[in-house]
Amino acid sequence: MRALLLAALLVQLMTTSGAAQTYAPSTPLPRTTSAPALRAFATAREVEERFKFGLDAEARGDWKGAAAEFDRIVELNPPEPKGSTAQYDLAIAYANLQRNDDAARALRTALARDPEFLAAMANLVAVDLARGDLAEARRIADRYVALAPDSARALYSRGIVALEAGDAATAREDFGKLLHGNPSYAVAHYNLALAEERLGRFDAAERELNSALALAPGYARARFALGVVLLRQGEHAAARSAFARATADASGDPALKNIAAAMRDSIKGP
Amino acid sequence: MIQIVSRTLASSVLAVAFLAGTLLSGRFALAGAASLQAMLDGALTPSSAPALLGPITSAGRIGWQCKPEHAAASKDARASELPTDPSTP
Repeated sequence: MRALLLAALLVQLMTTSGAAQTYAPSTPLPRTTSAPALRAFATAREVEERFKFGLDAEARGDWKGAAAEFDRIVELNPPEPKGSTAQYDLAIAYANLQRNDDAARALRTALARDPEFLAAMANLVAVDLARGDLAEARRIADRYVALAPDSARALYSRGIVALEAGDAATAREDFGKLLHGNPSYAVAHYNLALAEERLGRFDAAERELNSALALAPGYARARFALGVVLLRQGEHAAARSAFARATADASGDPALKNIAAAMRDSIKGP
Repeated sequence: MIQIVSRTLASSVLAVAFLAGTLLSGRFALAGAASLQAMLDGALTPSSAPALLGPITSAGRIGWQCKPEHAAASKDARASELPTDPSTP
């Protein structure tokens, strides 16, 4: 009898708790008849929908379709973080459509709305390098490093901009710091070697290139650079050997292969 | 007199020719060295610029759910989506 009562009680409890369970709708229903409020609700809904369509378009490489969606979101001028995010996503679509000036403009707007948006800074430096605007690339890279001094991408980006602009001292500092946290990153050893070579520090350049090649023995560009550094130091036989190896390793880079072969052949063998 | 003039003329022409030859050969040698230097400098190019970081959802960049912002801030080169040489393991 007691067992029956207990079972009945449990069933009653389960039924009650099930009936009491409610689920909030995924998007709250508007509880107003005010026209401005309803318009704001509709706009917010449109922004969400267009984000979804835009991201789906980018995922399948439909950059034109994505640009149209994010462009419309920008027109709707949603509050943060959606406003700066729409500009950032629009820039990605523009960059893939080879509209780099428009991409840079969208990223500048994103940064004006959200001044600490690191991903927007990273992408603006990359877009500026593609546009050949080294002055803006350097300004943004400086700001990026100031906000995120340990960021590997910030250090790499400014290092590349500095090398392109002929500021070997800054490049040396940035790649040195990047390697401090990432000693097995062969590409950073290579770039640091270029900075050292431009500063006339051939021993240091040779050391960095040997480090890069120890990490990635088939790194043809690093092997070629080693040949150049050895040549500058008057080590002709070793340079010739490096150029010969670079020629063999550069099968995927015909331009490098040709110049490495020309250098190898211009140095007389023993 | 004519003989003296013609001898002077001949030596002048010879001197000019010699000077021109010296200058030209020197210039070509200089040009060769300069082009070799330019060729070497041009070949020592930095690695490529990093590729663009990917899109961000309407939730925005705040929080570790946002992969591009995480990549932009990371100390780790591998998490930062930086270029890797094809031969790097």
